Amino acid sequence: MLKKAILCVDDEEIILTSLRDQLRNHFGTRYMYEFAESADEALDIIGELYDEDVEILIIVSDWLMPNMKGDEFLIRVHEQFPGIVKVLLTGHADEAAIERAEKHANLHRCLYKPWSEDDLIETLTSGLERNL
Amino acid sequence: MNNNDDQAAGRANILVVDDTRANLRLLSGILSEQDYLVRPVPDGQLALSAVKAEAPDLILLDIMMPGLSGYEVCKQLKEDKLTRDIPVIFISAKNEIMDKVKAFSLGGVDYITKPFQTEEVVARVRTHLTLRQLQTSLEEKNRTLSETLEELKTAQNQLVLREKMAALGQLIAGIAHEINTPLGAIRASISNILNALSSSICQLPELFQQLSPERQTDFFLLIKAALEKVELPSSKKARKLRRILRKDLEKQGVEEPDTIASTLVNMGIWENIPDFISLLREENNTFILQTAYNLFVQQNNSRNIVIAVDRASKIVLALKHYTRHDDSGRMMGASVSDGIDVVLTLYHNRLKRGIDIIREYEETPEILCYPDELNQVWTNLIHNSVYAMNGSGELRITVSEKDGQVLVRISDSGTGIPENIRHRIFEPFFTTKPPGEGSGLGLDIVRKIIERHHGKIDVESSPGRTTFSVFLPILTEPSENDDVMRNA
Repeated sequence: MLKKAILCVDDEEIILTSLRDQLRNHFGTRYMYEFAESADEALDIIGELYDEDVEILIIVSDWLMPNMKGDEFLIRVHEQFPGIVKVLLTGHADEAAIERAEKHANLHRCLYKPWSEDDLIETLTSGLERNL
Repeated sequence: MNNNDDQAAGRANILVVDDTRANLRLLSGILSEQDYLVRPVPDGQLALSAVKAEAPDLILLDIMMPGLSGYEVCKQLKEDKLTRDIPVIFISAKNEIMDKVKAFSLGGVDYITKPFQTEEVVARVRTHLTLRQLQTSLEEKNRTLSETLEELKTAQNQLVLREKMAALGQLIAGIAHEINTPLGAIRASISNILNALSSSICQLPELFQQLSPERQTDFFLLIKAALEKVELPSSKKARKLRRILRKDLEKQGVEEPDTIASTLVNMGIWENIPDFISLLREENNTFILQTAYNLFVQQNNSRNIVIAVDRASKIVLALKHYTRHDDSGRMMGASVSDGIDVVLTLYHNRLKRGIDIIREYEETPEILCYPDELNQVWTNLIHNSVYAMNGSGELRITVSEKDGQVLVRISDSGTGIPENIRHRIFEPFFTTKPPGEGSGLGLDIVRKIIERHHGKIDVESSPGRTTFSVFLPILTEPSENDDVMRNA
């Protein structure tokens, strides 16, 4: 069976662990959950998972991160993996960055911190459906 | 012609005071012929009333008069703010003993002796009227100039304020992120705790029915190990550990090794696996681990909330300190390195992006200063450094004491300031940033603030190393002008 994964990218550990538990609580063991603390680390993981035949369904990424910002990261991913659903989850993003991600990375949605669990799950569920 | 028309026409208004009617008539005649507006009065008292009724441009004043003498009239005129600027020319008969020194010391501008020549009277009157006119117009110009200066100062203050707001604005985007991140973590953690708690309440009774007493002991050991774990692995390390553990578990005949390995690593457990292997080999191992995990979630997410709250309060405190000043506008004692740390806290999100910060602070005494203004200095210099490094490099900040001064050095590993513009960087409106990114006032204001603290700022620059050195005298008593200067 082909394994499916959800990848979360944020430079804050407290965000990643709280996202992890929300995802586990809602989707249980249906998916693998992967976490990266930077866009660079995320690109490594994407490569590794590709090699291991794991299909990434959704990426949830912060915008304001070291070196590479969220919009640039998602655009880069999109060039290689247009099928992955992309979501921004951010405490602050400028309008232009969101527009870029919408235009060049087919951004599914931009969620703002502090996010509500319902919004997050709804966004992911609708994203997963889009991927079917 | 009425009075207003006379003034409008620019005719000078001259008061002539003499008790000798013949003289009065003669002088009036001479002056009227010159097209001056002449008001003749025969004694001192009447002269004062006439001046009060309408101030003349010039007074010709006889000295020897019955009642009030010319000296007395002049003295009274000079005592009154409204009349003291009117030029007075004394007139005295040649046979009278005239005290020229007294005439000048009382404020007379000139004197004429009788009998006089017409030309002399006309020339002296004209000279003094011209002088008076020039003086008035000079006063007027001075007034306009000081008004303009005031307006300029107000405009400059507004610019300084705008620059201060711009500096704060640069921080705001980051601050929104800095506050919203912990808020996001808090909100998510609370929902995780609530979900885990309600799951635990259902799972625990069921689990204890299924587990033997030995396995119940193992279960509690596992929970204890997870709760005692202080440091959890980074995402990268967790991935590696998960992979190793998965293989290990598979080898030891544990079912569902993927799920079990990832749950254990999330809980911080990848050591002492043999202690728990019997528990992990149980048929319902995923249920056991999920139950353990739900207990761990409650602790770990609470820990997240504590971290998040600390982070948010640190930002709020830094913001409060950033704008710290004495409401009376006086200098106050503050630590220079504390101020720099406040700015670094607010700049945290921008700095952690690829910039190594090296802080070398010596213990320095508190200095009398305007803390909010110094924070503006640090913000500006750090912002420029980050800009020059294009987001990645080394920012070195040293604070030390040298010859009764606090010396702050802010160095960056950026591109450097080209030699040909180095002398211009402190000029107002000089900027190398593209339009819209900088007003060019930053360093001008930095220098002004430092001068207000009686300090100085230097710059050294070569590609890869630019250092701004700020010297601040260690003052303990405010100097007299400080309060005035702050408001200037």
